[in-house]
Amino acid sequence: MLDQFEILTTSGVVLWSKTYVPVNANVVNSLINDVFIEERIQAGTKTGEDAHAARNTPFKKDKYTLKWSTAKDVGLIFVAVYQSILHLSWVDNLLDVVRALFIKEFGKDLRKSTTTTKVDYSGFNQTFDALVAKLDKSSGEAIARQSEPESTSTGELTPPSSSAGTEDGLDQPPLPPVPGFKKAPQKPLYNDTASTDATPIATPDTSRPNSPAVNHLLTAKTGPGGKGSRRARKAQLTSSAPVSSGDESPARNTRSQAKKVATKAKRRWDIDGTAIEGDEDSTLDYSSHDIRDGGDAEASQIEDIRAEDMGSRTAKGAFVLKDLDDEVDAILAESKAKQTGGASIEPAKSSGIVGSGFGAVSGYFRNIVGGKTLTKEDLVKPLKAMEDHLVEKNVAREAAVRLCESAERDLIGLKTSNFTSIDTTLRASMSRALTHMLTPTSSLDLLRSIQRTTTDPSSPRPYTISIVGVNGVGKSTSLGKLAFFLLQNNLRVLVCAADTFRSGAVEQLRVHVRNLSELARRENRGTIELYEKGYGKDAAVLARDAVAFARTRDAATGKLNFDVVLVDTAGRRHNDTRLMSSLTKFGQLVQPDKIFMVGEALVGSDSVAQARNFSAQFVDAAGKGRGLDGFVISKCDTVGDMVGTLVSMVHATGIPIVFLGVGQHYADLRGLNVGWAVDKLMK
Amino acid sequence: MVDWTTAQDWLAWSFSPSISAILLTLFLSLALPLSIHAYLYRQRASSVTPSFLLLGPTGAGKTSLQTLFERGNATPTHTSQSPATVTCALPRDVTAASSKYRSTNDPSAKTERKLHLIDTPGHGKLRHHAFSALTAPALSGLIFVVDSAALSSANGLTEAATYLHDLLLALQKRHTSAKTSKGPKTLNVLVAANKQDLFTALPAQLVRKNLEREITKVRDTRAKGLLDSGVGGDEDEEEREWLGEGGEGAFEFRQMEECGVEVQVVGGNVRAEGDEAPHVQNWWAWVAENM
Repeated sequence: MLDQFEILTTSGVVLWSKTYVPVNANVVNSLINDVFIEERIQAGTKTGEDAHAARNTPFKKDKYTLKWSTAKDVGLIFVAVYQSILHLSWVDNLLDVVRALFIKEFGKDLRKSTTTTKVDYSGFNQTFDALVAKLDKSSGEAIARQSEPESTSTGELTPPSSSAGTEDGLDQPPLPPVPGFKKAPQKPLYNDTASTDATPIATPDTSRPNSPAVNHLLTAKTGPGGKGSRRARKAQLTSSAPVSSGDESPARNTRSQAKKVATKAKRRWDIDGTAIEGDEDSTLDYSSHDIRDGGDAEASQIEDIRAEDMGSRTAKGAFVLKDLDDEVDAILAESKAKQTGGASIEPAKSSGIVGSGFGAVSGYFRNIVGGKTLTKEDLVKPLKAMEDHLVEKNVAREAAVRLCESAERDLIGLKTSNFTSIDTTLRASMSRALTHMLTPTSSLDLLRSIQRTTTDPSSPRPYTISIVGVNGVGKSTSLGKLAFFLLQNNLRVLVCAADTFRSGAVEQLRVHVRNLSELARRENRGTIELYEKGYGKDAAVLARDAVAFARTRDAATGKLNFDVVLVDTAGRRHNDTRLMSSLTKFGQLVQPDKIFMVGEALVGSDSVAQARNFSAQFVDAAGKGRGLDGFVISKCDTVGDMVGTLVSMVHATGIPIVFLGVGQHYADLRGLNVGWAVDKLMK
Repeated sequence: MVDWTTAQDWLAWSFSPSISAILLTLFLSLALPLSIHAYLYRQRASSVTPSFLLLGPTGAGKTSLQTLFERGNATPTHTSQSPATVTCALPRDVTAASSKYRSTNDPSAKTERKLHLIDTPGHGKLRHHAFSALTAPALSGLIFVVDSAALSSANGLTEAATYLHDLLLALQKRHTSAKTSKGPKTLNVLVAANKQDLFTALPAQLVRKNLEREITKVRDTRAKGLLDSGVGGDEDEEEREWLGEGGEGAFEFRQMEECGVEVQVVGGNVRAEGDEAPHVQNWWAWVAENM
């Protein structure tokens, strides 16, 4: 069963929600953070329009699964939360239908009132409950129908289209019943209720009385099951709707909802277990329903007349299920068609030569003057040009496509402002997308976090930074620059030569340390030392020893000897699994505060794979772990405007860029200015 | 040529002591001031609604505060992704500073004072919304919402302080880079120490002290940090600005008054347990003062 269903705006206000079991707000917040803001999980949507909910990858957090759907034009997000152990295949349909119905009912208010959120959405409760009742049942029925073709001809309440659940039959809950047993009980009981039911809801059941002989026969075998009682309950729910005022309905609905859950559980027990239990249960149910229903039928008849001329919401509630059925079917059919047919069905827009000619001319004119509402077709060409432009800037094709998609999502349905062409609008949107991608989530103040670690009141310790990367990208050089920067800030640095593999690696670092310590001595700022144990040792153990060495305290003052440990590692090819796997051990043994990966700006689309593979090594199989903390992009001075590697790497991992290497000297290390990078890319 | 004669005729007529000329002059002299008055009065009536900007790190309670100010009760909210503007009315028991001198019997005091409240996302990637909103017209004040309970942890404090530092620096730049000697309109900042109902929440005084201390540290590390890639060479180095008095010594919010920014730290809570009402009167009072 669902735990929670929420409808919220992009500005964060929950417009309407239904909670069956309280769920921590963090669950939905992390969905928003990971999927919508950081875009860590790729949205399955290929187009700007709101796709079928099933296309959106479900998001898993803790023990919950979240399915979601968006309505971009009114800025709404629909989220359904349920426990991961359940497989609720009808949730996709629910999301689609709720989205369509909610926008239909409140869309006008939503579009109109931009400066207020004060709209009463409580009227949606009834619709929602009816929907859940219907869809929940229809998915269960779909299974029964699947195994029993005979029943398809009965023209049941469930339309063929809502059997969408059958598509993902694998996801269906493994319902225990043997079909013959399951179907038998529902019919007779349903017939009975239909006869006592004088409410207009009973109308869809006109074709109900079929093969009575079979029904009676089977009734004798097994008692009335939960299916029938549920159906009856649904009828009761709706027939009682007009009687209840808007205020009391939520409470009442939830109560009946809770009851429904209970009966559902019982039905399964009933069929699996002894028949007697089920008998008793449903008889009770049946009688109570009968009494209530009789009373309600009268009441609803009076109510109907009154409600009609009032035209109030209760009147809507009275017919809600009847209307809803057709509507829900239509929506589901549409979304299904969209899902299967894709975007191939395009309605012919203009008729005749005159119309199309005029449209073309005015479209061209609007393109120059502005005030044109952008459609998918308008954007195809400019987007292709933009994608090529980005690829020319050394952005990996994959990242360029993603950026173009996000710009497209941003722009479809938008009206260009006065005297701006599509290209200008697209450029602005692309700049926004790039800024969004490159801006780090949290502040990257390295000095502040070093300061905090080394002056931690409870347990001060040296701050460990390790540097990884592919061969020859400039790991040692970047490490030298980083050490110089730290020395300038009067920190005591220990450099650990954990590259015990390549000839000359240790000597190279020794030269760096010698130069740097000479510089530090002249300026009288900071100290730097080298920790090395020659070649052939295990890098992880060596680095661990270096950290332990740095932790030693000065005997006289009791202070730490070092503030920062910089660990250089051997370069490795990112697709060499043997070498890469040793990084995992390295991460566990050394436990660095920061792991930076050095990537060169020269590399093309391979940067995506590099970033992904390195990032994956610091995350264990269970998905726990820290991953990389940032990128250092070296050799930025050699590429001019073509700084696309920055984008590719961030696109692949969502990890921010911390430093840029912009020259050959120790001082040629820079932080990333997002505006600068975006300017270069858009030039 | 013909026109000249007719014009002369008209002129002659207007200066002639005929009764019709006197009447017309009289009418004009009476109607003109009246119409000018009416015109100006109309202009005055369409005064702009003051707007306030809500900023702060994510999870501080900005959107909750917005809904509370708008509807009178806070609704459940989630992380914001886009800015939103709503119109709120000042509560009856709070008097706006601009109507301080109005008589209590003034009928205009009975009408609701409207104000716009602009909510911005607090997520690190989306703060550009807030900074671009700083140039909004008729901006009367900034409300920087912080979670007083989160400030007791080092990470929460650093995040809030970094954001506040950037904000104050932007305000200072706005002042120093002003073209006119008058400078831009003063913008006051309210640091709303939210969630005072929580047990672990720091009191407003401590929030102020901690933020000031942390901003000093953030400023120091910024000063020592690397130049960013946008800085082209060494000529720009002098252009970098430091918050407060040239970036020396400890930072205090008081130093911001020099550039027309008054920072106040006031406690309150948007959500309340059980029957207790949310405690936001002091924030309303600040809003009224700055209208």
